[in-house]
Amino acid sequence: MSYFERFVRQFRARLLLVILLNNALILAGWYATDRVLKLTGWQEIAAIIAIPLLTLVLLPWVTSRALTRPTKFIWQAIMHVSPDTAADMPAPDPKQLRLGRELVTNLVNQLYQLTSVVQKMEHAGSEAAQDLHTNFVANHLPLPFIVLSHDDTIMYANEAAATYLSKPATDLAGQNVYTALDMSFTSTDTLHDWLDTTKDKAAAADHSWERVRIGLPGSNNSKQFDLAAHYNQGNPLGYETLLTLFDHTGTYGQDDQSLSFVALAVHELRTPLTLLRGYIEVFDEELGAGLDPELQRFMKQMDAAAGQLTAFVNNILNVAKVEDDQLSLQLHEEKWPEIIDAVVSDLQLRAGVRGISIKTEVASDLPTAGVDRYSIYELIANLLDNAIKYSKDKAVITVSSTLNKDGLIETSVRDSGVGIDGSILPYIFDKFYRSHQNRSQIGGTGLGLYLAKVIVEAHGGNIWVQSKPGEGSTFTFTIMPYGKLEDERKATGSQDITRHAHGWIKNHSMYRN
Amino acid sequence: MDGPRLKKILCIEDEYFISELYVRALRRAGYEADVELDGQKGLTAAQTDKYDIILLDLMIPTVTGIEVLRTLRDPAKTPKLHAKIIITTNLEQRDDVRADIEHQADGYLVKAEITPRELVEFLQSLTA
Repeated sequence: MSYFERFVRQFRARLLLVILLNNALILAGWYATDRVLKLTGWQEIAAIIAIPLLTLVLLPWVTSRALTRPTKFIWQAIMHVSPDTAADMPAPDPKQLRLGRELVTNLVNQLYQLTSVVQKMEHAGSEAAQDLHTNFVANHLPLPFIVLSHDDTIMYANEAAATYLSKPATDLAGQNVYTALDMSFTSTDTLHDWLDTTKDKAAAADHSWERVRIGLPGSNNSKQFDLAAHYNQGNPLGYETLLTLFDHTGTYGQDDQSLSFVALAVHELRTPLTLLRGYIEVFDEELGAGLDPELQRFMKQMDAAAGQLTAFVNNILNVAKVEDDQLSLQLHEEKWPEIIDAVVSDLQLRAGVRGISIKTEVASDLPTAGVDRYSIYELIANLLDNAIKYSKDKAVITVSSTLNKDGLIETSVRDSGVGIDGSILPYIFDKFYRSHQNRSQIGGTGLGLYLAKVIVEAHGGNIWVQSKPGEGSTFTFTIMPYGKLEDERKATGSQDITRHAHGWIKNHSMYRN
Repeated sequence: MDGPRLKKILCIEDEYFISELYVRALRRAGYEADVELDGQKGLTAAQTDKYDIILLDLMIPTVTGIEVLRTLRDPAKTPKLHAKIIITTNLEQRDDVRADIEHQADGYLVKAEITPRELVEFLQSLTA
């Protein structure tokens, strides 16, 4: 039997009791009026009417009270849990009830349970809304997005961040941000320093950095980006610092793509070389005049050796660039005799150390040439370097230029040195080829002729050699006059003619001309 | 001696011994020369606008040479700068990167290819 049925039973029993009592009272009253008080006439009639009237008042009052008390308790309980009135209404205590106590206790408990269920649902609803926000919105954001806690630990990283950093989001969460992202900044204004000065001092702050780098420059996983940070103090969810990364590896990366291994090695080699050449010059200036001739010659040889070293370093770098197929030649209109003179005067210093002299025989009516000034310089310098290397002391090297029958500018570098054996000739322009007969006596990397060939062919010319062992060698190459290149320029419509595949270190002496 | 009008030169170079050689040659040629060994200090000194020539190395600590060059050429960050900026570096670049740098600077020299005296001659030809 349910509580309610029990209550109804109790109530009916109570009612029956009251009615019986009521009737008993009426009968007793009538009896008293008739036999005890012996009232007659109008007194008797008044008493007979008054007694039921009294009980008529008594009965409703007693029954209504029995009904309203449980109702009042229930009303009190409802007001107690309702959010608007909870403060004003204390919880009812059903133990104070007699009739219907179990019913009311049961109803009130049900009410409380219902309320707590509603609260839970509300809370779950708001959590779901939050989950929707972080998991769906943040995860689908195309920008890497990271959230840090107060102690700089990554609380959350979205999918884009995980992809960008090549680590799963689960790995990132819980890591210290400086461990997970090894960042370098372009100045002393770093994320760490900014957070240090901002944390716990500002309620909210924003800052951004350009060109932040992770990974070593030149490596495959190096990335460069702009970083934006938002800090808010005491965020209730612990999301104190929000970071957004804007990738610019493509554009910023171009600045340091040149920092490959070879370029770094070249930079390292050049630093002591710079010092050596500087100190040699200082000693030559301060002491040169006072030294005896042999020591003076040693000074000059030191200078020459340093110059050669510089040239070799350049050669190594140029070959690396050729391998990489980087860069391009810019062909301009140049006066050929001027170029020859510039190279010869620079190399004459080196030649003079061993008493070797360089003669020039340049035809006066040559047309202008279409060349990349710096690489052509490199080419002629390499040929002359070889000539000097393989010549005897006090020998003469001749550089001559004429217009050949095909209308091309033909230049020859002739020496009277050791010459080249016929069996080696076909390979002479190959990279690193050095005849084993020569290797022990004469230094060199075997790159000079390889580069010479590459340069000449990039200019649209040809190079070849004639040689006789013991008599010397003559290297000849052709260059197109600028006029011939005009057609090509008109076709492409550009100011200069660009040739691809090779890149050159621009020699400083060119700036003097 | 008919020296150049006394010019102030700022050398931003992290290799102390190289800067020592350059400063020696520059002072003997009649220039005033100061040295800063890193990018941040060099930038601050350059922005005082009291130098006529700035020799800027590229591979320097704190703020890189390229960044210094950009900042000095940005009118918003460096409103007043009359100095000529000459890049002096041993770093090798791709041609397009180097062309971009040369475009922003007033000269580009490879240190290993010049001696201190040649540097002085180059600067004299610039300021003549």
